[in-house]
Amino acid sequence: MPSHIVVPAVHKLTPDVAKLFAEHYHTDPNDDDPQSLAWSQRLAARPVILAADAGMTGGNFVVAETGSFVVCTNEGNADLSATVPGLHIATLGIERLVPRMADLGVFVRMLSRSALGSPITQYTTHFRGPQDGGEMHVVLVDNGRSHRLGMEDFWTSLKCIRCGACMNTCPVYRRSGGLSYGAVYSGPIGAIIDPTFNERKYSTLPFASTMNGSCTNVCPVRINIHDQLYKWRRVLAEHHELPFVKREVMNMAGRLMGQPKLYRAAISGTETALGVLPRFALYNWLNPWGKNRELPHPVKQTFHSWYKQNRLKTKKKGEDA
Amino acid sequence: MSSRDAILARLRDNRPDPAAHPLPPVARLGNMDAGRARFEKSLALLGGQVLEPQAGESLSAAIARRFADAKIICSAVPDFEGTVRIEELGTPQKAAEVDVLVVRAPFGIAEMGSIFLSEAQLPTLNSAAHLTQHIVVILSEATLTANMHTAYIERPEFHTARYGVLMSGPSATADIQGVLVRGAQGVRTLSVWWEP
Repeated sequence: MPSHIVVPAVHKLTPDVAKLFAEHYHTDPNDDDPQSLAWSQRLAARPVILAADAGMTGGNFVVAETGSFVVCTNEGNADLSATVPGLHIATLGIERLVPRMADLGVFVRMLSRSALGSPITQYTTHFRGPQDGGEMHVVLVDNGRSHRLGMEDFWTSLKCIRCGACMNTCPVYRRSGGLSYGAVYSGPIGAIIDPTFNERKYSTLPFASTMNGSCTNVCPVRINIHDQLYKWRRVLAEHHELPFVKREVMNMAGRLMGQPKLYRAAISGTETALGVLPRFALYNWLNPWGKNRELPHPVKQTFHSWYKQNRLKTKKKGEDA
Repeated sequence: MSSRDAILARLRDNRPDPAAHPLPPVARLGNMDAGRARFEKSLALLGGQVLEPQAGESLSAAIARRFADAKIICSAVPDFEGTVRIEELGTPQKAAEVDVLVVRAPFGIAEMGSIFLSEAQLPTLNSAAHLTQHIVVILSEATLTANMHTAYIERPEFHTARYGVLMSGPSATADIQGVLVRGAQGVRTLSVWWEP
């Protein structure tokens, strides 16, 4: 599973890569220089590319006017895969369609600067037919896209150019990492796309947001990501796709937070409970959140009671004076 | 119904009203400077180099100086000898033995420092542009176009070439802990030689 749409192995550190390469390429496991590790990778990949009977690539854009598709890469692996073996197979998402060649400038300029902050990818390759003596085959991938086009609130997610800007800015993604989403598409865009594949499996993703809207703010194609996150919550609740515990907890929390007195009593009760209850009462199936995490430490005093004690009095004194 | 027909039918049913989404006018935006200085600045940003002649030296002398260890120098242009011609390589895989490829680009893009190559510049062997260790691109200042918009609007190659690559510097990667490494799977260096 990739942890990022643009840099799929970003969760691996240099020592992790060195260990992996040592295992598969028999290189020095203590090599801590990305430069020489990348060189080992080049040396290991070359014979594979030279011996391959077919090469596969994806495609970033498809141009209706010319029947071309465009592949944007930095490493050069896509161009090697397309030109060295005699057979090139490309899988293209059907939503990447751009009407005219003259429109490509907008998209190519937008992609790399939104992804990595570079002006353009090292390679921007336009395929319109097979090379001499070779074959080129194109697989148009739907995978739910034509269905999503009919979803009034969600079809604009098809505008996504997969730059990853929403991930880079998302406070949730930045803390949790891409693997925690459990899907190929992670981050804010993943949280609104993944439920279209499987509402039950990805039912919790739209709830993992603070509604801060940073994703919407940076999106170069102006997808209203945080609005869609909110709308997905409603859809999932209506479709009864929320897990029982989450649904009940939300229900109770809603009632509790609507009544300040009850809420404060509950908070002080919880603080006491956190301090005195045995672990088995706090960490069980009712608390899936606690499976891999520790609950916060109980505090001696809530902010509210501290404020009441210290600031309200001072303010009153100030008023008297 | 084939899956292809099913998808197309669903797209027709589900698509937003085309009348509500008219085609926008073609955008021609940005800086219109198509000068050599802008190209060189962008090229440097993306890791490419300019092969500057020293004291009026020829291209072959400059290549011999810059790539002193190179044994196989492949030419894809009529006016440069090299040790082998691209037409003689035979198979796409053969290009892996080449140290330096010399090729002429039909145009460059000042905004990105990009050069364009297609099957017309790499006769029968597109792989040569990627399997070779280093590439030297002959470019004429007169062919520079300002930016991505002018390139896609004005250059006919995007409509005619079956394989057309914009190379902006050499191959690169930042997949290992985000450290930028120039020279990944494709060419390790890209040098531009200005047509005198």
